[in-house]
Amino acid sequence: MSGAIASGDPIVHGRDLPAGFDEACDVVVVGSGAGGAVVATLLAEAGRRVVVLEEGPYYRAADYQRFKPSEAVRRIFREAGMVTAFGVGQTPIISITMGRAVGGSSVITGGVCFRIPGEVHGRWVRDLGLSELSERDLEAAYESVEERLNVREVPERMRSESTNRFVEGARRLGIEMRAIRRNTGDACEGNARCNFTCPAGAKRSVDVAYLPSAVERGARVVSDALVDRIVVQRGRAAGVEGRLLGGERGAPSHRFRVRAPVVVAACGTLHTPLLLGATGVGAGSGVLGNHVTLHPAARVVARFDDAVNGWDGALQSVYSDHFAAEGIKLVGVYSAVNVLAAGLPGVGPALRRRVRSLPQCAVFGAMIHDDGGGRVRPGLGREPVLWYEMAPRDLARLRRAVTRLSEVAIAAGAREVYAPVFGLPPIRTVDDALAMERTRIDARRIECMAFHPLGSARVANDRRRGIVDQSGECFELPGLFVADGSILPTSIGVNSQVPIMAMATRIAWRMAERFPRLAARAA
Amino acid sequence: MLTPYAPGASDTPKGAAGVGKDPKCRRPSTADEPSYALAPMRTPPATLAAPGAAGPDDRLDWPGAGLSPRSRRVAWAVAEALLCDEDDRGDLVPASPETCDRAVAALDLSIGRSSADVRRGFAALSLVMELLPIFVIGAFARMSRLPLDRRLAYLEALEGSRIGLLSMLLIAFKVPLCIPAFEEGEDLLSTGFDRATTASRRRLPVAPAREAA
Repeated sequence: MSGAIASGDPIVHGRDLPAGFDEACDVVVVGSGAGGAVVATLLAEAGRRVVVLEEGPYYRAADYQRFKPSEAVRRIFREAGMVTAFGVGQTPIISITMGRAVGGSSVITGGVCFRIPGEVHGRWVRDLGLSELSERDLEAAYESVEERLNVREVPERMRSESTNRFVEGARRLGIEMRAIRRNTGDACEGNARCNFTCPAGAKRSVDVAYLPSAVERGARVVSDALVDRIVVQRGRAAGVEGRLLGGERGAPSHRFRVRAPVVVAACGTLHTPLLLGATGVGAGSGVLGNHVTLHPAARVVARFDDAVNGWDGALQSVYSDHFAAEGIKLVGVYSAVNVLAAGLPGVGPALRRRVRSLPQCAVFGAMIHDDGGGRVRPGLGREPVLWYEMAPRDLARLRRAVTRLSEVAIAAGAREVYAPVFGLPPIRTVDDALAMERTRIDARRIECMAFHPLGSARVANDRRRGIVDQSGECFELPGLFVADGSILPTSIGVNSQVPIMAMATRIAWRMAERFPRLAARAA
Repeated sequence: MLTPYAPGASDTPKGAAGVGKDPKCRRPSTADEPSYALAPMRTPPATLAAPGAAGPDDRLDWPGAGLSPRSRRVAWAVAEALLCDEDDRGDLVPASPETCDRAVAALDLSIGRSSADVRRGFAALSLVMELLPIFVIGAFARMSRLPLDRRLAYLEALEGSRIGLLSMLLIAFKVPLCIPAFEEGEDLLSTGFDRATTASRRRLPVAPAREAA
């Protein structure tokens, strides 16, 4: 392991490198998702020499935009879409969607952009003493992120007929719907499959909105680079080591080292604790890997008598906080038809019949503002194991959300509603929905998914309560920063991409100001 | 042209997705033929190629196998029953070999690109799926050796089980098999989707002026 990266490309396919490398730079960033790409770009723009190491592969936007959903799942979803939170006690088994590629999960989000609600910021300041993380303190960061992402409200004309039915059902029940803001600017064509990459290239994921600027300013991005430990020298983070993935069959994997006075861990909520734990950081706090929140989500499929053809329109365009007091956010959703088909109830002829009725189907979704009962631990191999114990209150909220969605569907005129509970018959009346909510069932029969794991290396004011301080630096290892969803101290109740990016922006700005001192301390 | 969905009705036209000249099977509930007359599962090919086969972009992190031969056999048997249909007489028609091949090939690639944890986990799930029929439907045979109607009954029992873990066992196969299965060809057409492929862009209305130009 010696020498520089043997490639002149700004974004290097690590799997194609003929040898390992030993590089030096100002800042090494582990992970290129919503947190890592932001920090890397802002520091590169501030004149720092930056190296970004991404475990996943690199696909150019023009290439991944042509992926069919199954290809996207296979190539850019972590574990080919099979990441699961194992339920403890009465908890559904939750499917978790995460990206694993240059751009991270931002490549496969629905592009929904929310700020952290004011009451959550207020709780952070008031209850947790995080005085630097108020809404006002993050205002400039939010603005910076939203400008780069081209965040716009989805216009009514981009709503799909599926969403129109959702809005109409809600209107009849007196539920107010609002337009969602998304990172597609005015370029969204309404292809309704953002989670599997945007065929029109409208979505401003971080590999499009941030990393090109970093690369222009000399940052190097290496894909297929799995960091397995942080180098520690004289009690400070001094770089990282790891190995390149995806080499030729039978060939040993090449190792690499990147030396830097500042290390940024941005591997995501499930993997940052592994990296920190492997380095011995946070082991004594009792906090690392704990208190993970997920925003468990559910959806119902509503079958109407007439054609809906919900695939024409934005994937998500409306939401409602009408049930915020119950911890429920309603969202209009759709997805690729083959993915919807896979989620329909039934097998064999029953499944085929329902698939043929997809043109008459609308999809409505809901998300729970959860208490957080997740724990991340190292698994047998390279991937972590996530255990999640859903609070009884959250399970009740999840079931209530399904009832609310069913009520909206029936109010909109749905003939029947397929609830996300395995083995139960379709819902045809509100009474059916209420009866289903009252029925005692094994929670593992509830089909549940999550898209926003947060909080495994939370920010706090002291090392007994958290892993990093309010500037993102680890209490136990100076020079090591964390800038991803793992630092969020509580559930936020909204889609997490913009909040993560805003937190990362703030951390990067602080780091840029402090860099001379950080480097001097390392020297 | 799609006909409106009518619950309980069989609206698959002959020659549509999954309907071929394969051995027909009848569901036990409406059967007038004994189940021993049913055809066993067709033997899956030893290797799966063609749609979505691994190319340079599919190179694995640590090159290795995806599904083991046993897991592939189990997945194929599940796909054949999971995606079967019935004809206008109510006879079961197994999913076409092309559909099963496509679904299992994609699953194979997905498992191959995943970590060893997932590979081990799926191997264990395959074993459980194969061995559970005796406990779930009282059938003294491995799942992959059951005739189609019994396999379908087994999958239905898993989905409808009061034990959530059994439902999840089915879902672990159903979702990764159905996504590629309904992604192409007749199976995609059966969803009513109006674009050429799932990666195609929306057919946007063309402004009159532009059309004239």
